[in-house]
This record gives sequence, C-alpha cells and structure tokens, in this order.
Amino acid sequence: MLNVIDYVPGDTLLHRLNPVAKLALAASIIAATFLSDGYPALVGLLAITLLLAAYAGVLGRLARLLKLLVPVALIMLLLQLAFVRSGTPVVAFATDEGLITGGKACLRLLGVALPLVLMLMVTKLTDLANACVEKLHVPYKYAFTFTTALRFVPVFSQEMNAIMEAQTARGVEYDTKNPIKKLQLMLPLCVPLLISSVSKTDASALAAEQRGFYLRTRASSYKRYPVRGIDIAAFAACIALIVAGILL
Amino acid sequence: MAAIIEMDGVSFSYDADARRALSDVSLRVEEGDFLGIIGPSGAGKSTLAACLSGAIPHHFTGELYGATRVAGHDTCEITLTDISRTVGSVAQDIDAQMVASVVEDELLFGLENFGVPHDQIEGRIARTLETAGISELRHREIATLSGGQKQKVAIAAILALEPRVLVLDEPTAALDPVSSQVVFDTLADINRRLGITVIVIEQKVALLSSHCNRIVVMDRGGIALEGSPHEVFRRAELLRELGVDSPRTARISNSLAAAGLCAADDPCLNVEEAHDLIAQIIRRADATGPGAAGADAAPAAADACAAGQTSATPHAATPSPHAPRRPHAEGAAPVLTFEHVGFTYPGGGASVEDLSLEVYPGELVGVVGQNGAGKTTLTKLLNGLLRPSRGRVRVAGLDTGENPVSAIAAHVSTLFQNPDRQICKNTVIEEVAFGLELQGVDSREAQRRAETVIDRFGLPRDEAPFSLSRGQRQMVALAGVVVMNPDVVVLDEPTSGLDYRECMTVMETVRDMADKGCAVIMVCHDMEVVSDFAERIVVMADGRILGRGPASELFADSELMARASVTPPQVIDLAGRLARDVSPTFAHISEVSDIVRRVKELADHA
Repeated sequence: MLNVIDYVPGDTLLHRLNPVAKLALAASIIAATFLSDGYPALVGLLAITLLLAAYAGVLGRLARLLKLLVPVALIMLLLQLAFVRSGTPVVAFATDEGLITGGKACLRLLGVALPLVLMLMVTKLTDLANACVEKLHVPYKYAFTFTTALRFVPVFSQEMNAIMEAQTARGVEYDTKNPIKKLQLMLPLCVPLLISSVSKTDASALAAEQRGFYLRTRASSYKRYPVRGIDIAAFAACIALIVAGILL
Repeated sequence: MAAIIEMDGVSFSYDADARRALSDVSLRVEEGDFLGIIGPSGAGKSTLAACLSGAIPHHFTGELYGATRVAGHDTCEITLTDISRTVGSVAQDIDAQMVASVVEDELLFGLENFGVPHDQIEGRIARTLETAGISELRHREIATLSGGQKQKVAIAAILALEPRVLVLDEPTAALDPVSSQVVFDTLADINRRLGITVIVIEQKVALLSSHCNRIVVMDRGGIALEGSPHEVFRRAELLRELGVDSPRTARISNSLAAAGLCAADDPCLNVEEAHDLIAQIIRRADATGPGAAGADAAPAAADACAAGQTSATPHAATPSPHAPRRPHAEGAAPVLTFEHVGFTYPGGGASVEDLSLEVYPGELVGVVGQNGAGKTTLTKLLNGLLRPSRGRVRVAGLDTGENPVSAIAAHVSTLFQNPDRQICKNTVIEEVAFGLELQGVDSREAQRRAETVIDRFGLPRDEAPFSLSRGQRQMVALAGVVVMNPDVVVLDEPTSGLDYRECMTVMETVRDMADKGCAVIMVCHDMEVVSDFAERIVVMADGRILGRGPASELFADSELMARASVTPPQVIDLAGRLARDVSPTFAHISEVSDIVRRVKELADHA
C-alpha cells in the first residue's frame, strides 16, 4: 500500500537539495502564504508548490492529497460565507467580502498543507532526521521521535484497515452509506488498535536501544549533509519568498 | 569450547504476585552453538530469550532471581547497550524493529550508533548484505519487500554489528515454507562460516531438527529436555506429553523402533535419513528371509502407530484415521463457485486471474502456494471483502458482486490469522455472541448459544479476551466462528502463532464442523497440517490456479510442487522416493501409520 507521505525516489535538484534547505523552502512558502494578502500572491505560491511537485515527479501523488483537501477547503469557504455578514450580498446569504476572505482562507489552507507534504515526499526520513541533527543541532531523541511517529502512520493505518476488514467479514456494516453510523461502528475499534500500538511502540523502543540508540551523537551519522551552492541558492529563494510575501 | 552465555538458577516473574514465567533455569550456551528453543505457548520461551538478550532486567521489570552471564559479565551489572554489543537480537515484530525506509539506511543505523569507524562502514554493509544474500536489495524501499526479504533485512541489520550471539524470536512465523527454509539456511551459514552463536525460538520442528546442533524443550517455565536433535526427538513419549510436535520422519522411525525393526536411539530427522533407514530395513529383511523381523512385535507396533498419530482417534486398524468419510459431494449442489474470476487491485500490484473452483458442503479444501501467490485475495473474494472485476463468485446462493458483505457474513465466517483484529468486546461471552447479534439474533438467544460454545471450548466466560494468551484468544475467535453455524468457513493461516496442541484443537474443531456439513476453505503454510486434514487442495502461483485435486495426489506431483514453490509434506515426499527406489507399493501413501504398516508387511513377506 502506498501512502501520501512515502518517499518517492528521484534524482532531481529538489531531491538532491540538503534536507535542511528543503525544510527551509517549505517553511518559507508557508510563511509567505500567511504574510501575503492578495489573490495573485496566494495563487502564485500555490502554483510554485505545484510546479516544484511536477518538476520532482510527484504531482500525481500530491493530487491524491488534493482530492482530500479540496472538500475540507470548500467546507471552510461555506463557513466563512455563513459567518462573514459585512459587505454587499451577492447570492443568497453570501456577501462579496465573505467570498473574498473565504476564498483566501481556502487558498491558505492548501498553501500551508502542500509544501510540507511535498518536502516529505522528496526526502528520506532518515536523511531529514540526520541533517536536522547535524545542521540545526536538534537533539537526536526528538528527531527520532518525529520520524518514528511519521513512520508509524502507514503501519497503523494498515492495522486499522485489517481490523475493519475482519469486522466487516463478521457482519459489522462498515459498508453502510450513513457516515454517522459508520463512525459509531468504528469507535469500539479504538481498543484493539490502541493495544496493538502500545505493544508496537514498546517493541520499537527496545529494538532501538538494543541497536545502540543511546550511544548516538551528532557525529554518528555516516552520511554528511554539506551545504552546497544550490542550497545557498535555495536559502536565497527562501528570503525572496518571505519578502515577496510581506510586500504582496 | 567456552560458554558465551551462562544462566544460573534464573527465575523471573513479570509481576510480584504473578506466576513465574521462568523458574530456576540453568543453561549453558557454548560459543558456536546453533541452539533451538521449542515448547508449548506459555512455556517461557520469549522470556528466556529476553533474559539472554538483556531485555530482562533492563527493559521488562519484574522479580528476577539467579544470574545470567553474557561473555563473563552479569547482565544486571552492565547496561543493555553493552549487552547488545555481544548479543544481537532480532525482534518478533520486525515492523517495529525497522527504523528506516531504505535497506541501506536500516543497516547504517546500528553501525552509526555503535561508532564503527566511517571508513569501515562501507565494507561492513557490502559484506553483511552478501552474507544475508540480499546484495541486490541494497537500495530498495523496505515497504516494497516481501515478508521473507524483510526478515533477511532485519537479520542483516543486526548481523552488521558483528555480534557474537544472535537471538531470534520466531523468525519464520509469517513466512511460507520455502522462505522459512531460506532464512534458516542463512542462519546456518552465518553460524558455520562466521562462527556466530545462533539461538532461535521456533515452532517448525522440521527446520529446527535439520539445522540446530542443540535443542532445548521448555515447559511451564523450566527446561524439560535438552540435547542434540537426535537425543531430543528420540523421546517421542515425553514430547507428546508436553504438547511438542516432532518431525513426521522421527515418528516413523520411532514407530519402527517400537516394532523392533530398527534401533531405538536414532530417530530420523529428515526425509533422506528415513528413506535410507527403510531401504536398509527392507534389504536386511530380504537377506535374512521370511518372518525374520518384527512378526511378534506387530501388535505393539500397531499401538505405537496409533499413539504416534496426530489425532486422538483410536482406530489403529482403519486404513487412515484422517481419511474423509463425510457425506460427500455426489449429487449435492456446490455451496461455493468461482467462475473465471479475476481481480486487479487498484493502482496495479498483485492480481488474480481466471480462478475457477467449486466447493461442496462438508468438504475441507486447502489452498497452498507461496507468499504472494494470491491466496489471501482468493479468501477475500470469497467472503465479499473484494468484489471480482471479472467473472462471478457465488456463495450459499448469493452473488458476492450484488450483496453487501454483512449479508454474506450470515453464511460465511472467516477466522483470521491474527485474532486480535477480530476481538473487540470486553468479555468472552459478549465477543462470542457479537456475531449472532449482528445478524439480528435476539440478544438473550445469542447469549444462550454463545454460552453453549464457550462451555464446549472450556473458555472463561467473563474474562476480558485481551487478558488471555495468544492461543486462547485464537480459540475465542474460533468460538465466534463456530457459534455462527455458517455454511462456509474460511481459515486464513489458522495455526500460525499456535503451539502444536492448540493447533490440533483448532483443526479438530474445524473438522467437526466439516463433518456436520460446513464447507471449509483453509489457507495454510503448514503442509503437514494441510495433508492431515484437507481432502482436496488448490495449488496457486502468481495469481493463478495451477492445480486442483485430491491432496495426496497433488502433493506427490513433484513437478507441480516445484512450479508452485511448495515443499511437499515429509510423508508424501518419503513415500514418493520409496516408491521409486524401494517398492512401488509405497506410492500415494500420506500417513505415518500407513508407511509403518507397509514397511512391516514388506519386512514380514520378505
């Protein structure tokens, strides 16, 4: 089973960038998204993200995530339309100001979610952790916790799927069309999932300790993550993005 | 040789007032040993492994008495990290052990942590991958590997650290016979060439007996038996009492020894040994003339055969205690039909093609094949979890393409490999009654029926299922299947993770259901179990059905078995070889007792 945040191998410039530079790039796109206050800037930033994804060959995967995000964004738009009462009415309860702020909120939501996911798609988690430890002096414990948490997402979702299948085969109506009923049926499954995740986490901690986890220092990593020309260029792009975000 | 690990009167309990998981265990592991640990569930095997690897006392807390010394150091006095420089352990759950997404990074993790000089790392990785036979997987994503490959990566990741001892807890539990064999061959190679001591907990006796030089049999927290495989499997009587399986070939030679046809102290551990032994007995009988051997020992031998059997049926005189004698198919309508069924997973990947199959009420059909052959897909098509993209599946009169799974569930019950995915209620009784309630049976009636089944299985009525042992949880899940009284039962690896006795209880329950007219479809990696219980088998490979037919006939077809990468059961393999080299009358025998009887007849008539 493939997951949205799984690493997609590749050899593009984006793949070869220092993981820290990639992180900075994602962070500055997000920062710019928050700072900017105009449609052209928001759409432009989103376009940059999508272009980068297309360049790295992960647009298809990102589109799958978009399919999930767009409905959420539309719900936000509806809420904004309902709550913003100033401005002149356009259609039904919607006002022009509501449309404008709502539209921006939608774009911001997408603009914040996508860059981070894109970064995870083109970076191996181990590289990300090691580079953060080396360059940003993040304690390895935290970096490891973070990457382990991400690594467990697909493991647990597979476990959840398997549990749902087992229960469906017994006759629990997960194939019902009613989402509320489905949610009610799913709640009792938290117990088996919780039990299996606690034991998995414990086994994982033991295995890591038995492989010398506590001996690890900043100098341990075999791979080095030097900052090269393209990384400097990326940092420059970051600053440019943030400045552009403030101005536009 | 020097002892690398010494345990001296070690006792351990996980809780102050809990039963002792280990009691007064003393064990010496010599450097260079290949030690196998076997025993029924709850015997303390995993606890013993945890003591050897230092997880006790450093990770699991409880009350510990006695001393464990690893390379001369008491495990209580050095840190877990220092212990793991000597003892590398491969976790039971390898998904929890993995830290990286790519094979190379997985190996790097430990090397980096233990501070291996960076100029040596490249050499170590290349060497380790080669030893484990996975050099070509170096840059692969771990998520895309098969179960067997993953297991080898997990072993390589520990092996790269160059430990002196390797401890593995059931490394082949999820693997098919061919992959299990490969993993054990790898371990044997590491043991022989690098001199690394290997300690492995394992339920598959045939593998243990052919690879280990020493076997420890555990029972109720203590060591019941210890010695070379020949010494251990000679004690057929004791092993049976403990609920430990022994290789079928050892049962044959033990039965022959009981009949006075061969020496008692040398059980056969593999098909070759058994073949040579029987050939020799018959040659000797031919040479010495009629009635020279075994004639007076015949009644004793018959008893021994019956006792050596897997089932409790006391019919030593009937030709085959497992042979189906059910209201068989003739004239009845099939309860399950697959008509040219095809299925492709969205997003590509494995698919099945052109599956055609008919199963009649009261039949027990085994589905065999390698991991990834499409067996699980077949079971999911059967219970409606997957809908065929091509062709039609009809089960108990329902077309799975047109009916919701919850409707099909009234007729088809599935016993999954992992009972924990099935169990979701707080007490055993609620859990067993749950399936009935889902089908709209009145709650009081459901409880009453559940109670009958629980009583029959001897399960604790009001306990929380999750506080029971793995084997008992499987029995709870099985009770949930039995209470439904379904037309079709689907079993997905019903015996994995169970000890021999639990495995037989599960299978005998299933056979009873088949006797009452329920059709059983069983996916199983244990060919001995399949050949004992299934009258028909379906052989699958690469998403297709290669062959269907009577179990003994198909298992004897060595060309078919090779194409499907299935290791035939020992007895059938042996019978085939004997038929070829010794006497054609051995052809198509599939039972231990029949082989023994035939040998006796031939020896008598000579």
